[in-house]
Amino acid sequence: MSQPVTTNPWIIMLINMTVVFLVLAALGLVIKFIHYIDPTKSKLEAEEKTAPAPAPAPVKPAASPQPVAEGIPPEIVAVIAAAVASYGYGLEQIHSIRPIERTGWKNAVRTQITQRV
Amino acid sequence: MELINAFSVSLQAVWNDSGFSVFTMGNGIMILVGLILLYLAIVKEFEPLLLGPIAFGCILANFPRTGFLTDPGLMQAIHYGIANEIFPPLIFLGIGAMTDFGPLLARPSTLLLGAAAQIGVFVALMGAMFLGFNVQEAGAIGIIGGADGPTAIYLAIQMAPHLLGAIAVAAYSYMSLVPLIQPPVMNLLTSKREREVVMEQMRPVSKFERVCFPVASAIIISLLLPPIAALLGCLMLGNLFRESGVMDRLSDTAQNSLCNIVTIFLATGTGMTMSAEEFLIPQTLLIIFLGLIAFIFGTAGGVVFGKIMCRVSGWKINPLIGSAGVSAVPMAARVSQIVGMKAKPGNYLLMHAMGPNVAGVIGTAVAAGTMLAMLK
Repeated sequence: MSQPVTTNPWIIMLINMTVVFLVLAALGLVIKFIHYIDPTKSKLEAEEKTAPAPAPAPVKPAASPQPVAEGIPPEIVAVIAAAVASYGYGLEQIHSIRPIERTGWKNAVRTQITQRV
Repeated sequence: MELINAFSVSLQAVWNDSGFSVFTMGNGIMILVGLILLYLAIVKEFEPLLLGPIAFGCILANFPRTGFLTDPGLMQAIHYGIANEIFPPLIFLGIGAMTDFGPLLARPSTLLLGAAAQIGVFVALMGAMFLGFNVQEAGAIGIIGGADGPTAIYLAIQMAPHLLGAIAVAAYSYMSLVPLIQPPVMNLLTSKREREVVMEQMRPVSKFERVCFPVASAIIISLLLPPIAALLGCLMLGNLFRESGVMDRLSDTAQNSLCNIVTIFLATGTGMTMSAEEFLIPQTLLIIFLGLIAFIFGTAGGVVFGKIMCRVSGWKINPLIGSAGVSAVPMAARVSQIVGMKAKPGNYLLMHAMGPNVAGVIGTAVAAGTMLAMLK
């Protein structure tokens, strides 16, 4: 083991925090640069502009013959679509909306998982 | 008569060769510690996938005369993998394959939150030096505040291998206690108005960005800090498996089978460093205390910097996501989400907090690399 550069804890803290900030700031610049030179950026932005806003409309009827099951009001569909969109996912990723099977045991497990989250 | 004599001599030989004949009080205490850790892992579910094998390794390490670390065999091979820094980079390979850098790429400013949260590492380092640890030991103890187990083990092996057991146990124990440690600090340092800030939806991130980022960051960080090239290189390689879209089998292996196998070896091997002679020392209690200080200051550093960013951005960044800068992926991000939801139901901070959370992983590795370059 070679000799440490310094043993003054204040200097160690100052130098290390400066290096950590500089390296991560440099990474931030790299990310911005990658975004700047991204050849697919314009296509992605165009897709984003043409994509519909999170609306109560049911989505992409390809996955199942009836994407929104009977008895689900449009308000509920809107709330689910908005919640999914708030996590950064596109509406095209919603394949269907249907009520889940409700039994006492399944409800208890679901409550437990939700509380953990 | 001869039969009785032979029987008696044989019994005596078996007893003399057994572990019981040299079993010490220290071994007994450490086996008890192992059983308590096992209880915490199985019953309380404190990081069970890690604490479970660590606890069992601790019990195994305190059986006398096993020759685990001296005789060739599986246990020596596991010890070799730890002592020669083989397992932590392999764990990082799996972590990279599991990590989505999307939130970080969408909002690169959150990298600074990951940097600010590293203050806990250096507060603990200062505390350790004031308590009499030498500078290498203090660096290894401080990294507990990074809340990143593999990095803590990686640094401890190189700077203070005799403290590895205590450092690993403190790091993993506090990581599992993040939901208890962080919320009081977050609530104390933020106002109700700050906690209620709703953040805008992030921009979509293209595949080009996702593929370029691991390659570019591996090149830059490895050139700048060669001591952590193995860690960061494996993290980014794992991420490239995930994002390239053409290496799904490798990605699947890295994040499941390989990661699970290496976790078993790393955690068991770490537990096996907890022999009575190395663990039952007053410094262990100090390390556990300093680990807590590191976590508290790391959380505070992230939140305070989050407050600054909140003001600078015109109330567009919720300071609660700053606490996620201490790594502990994804637990710390989940804590930001829970505290944010309590302040304002329906305010989803999870994806926003994932940015500083993964930045914290990189920040801790950079802090470790800088300390290795300066102090080793």
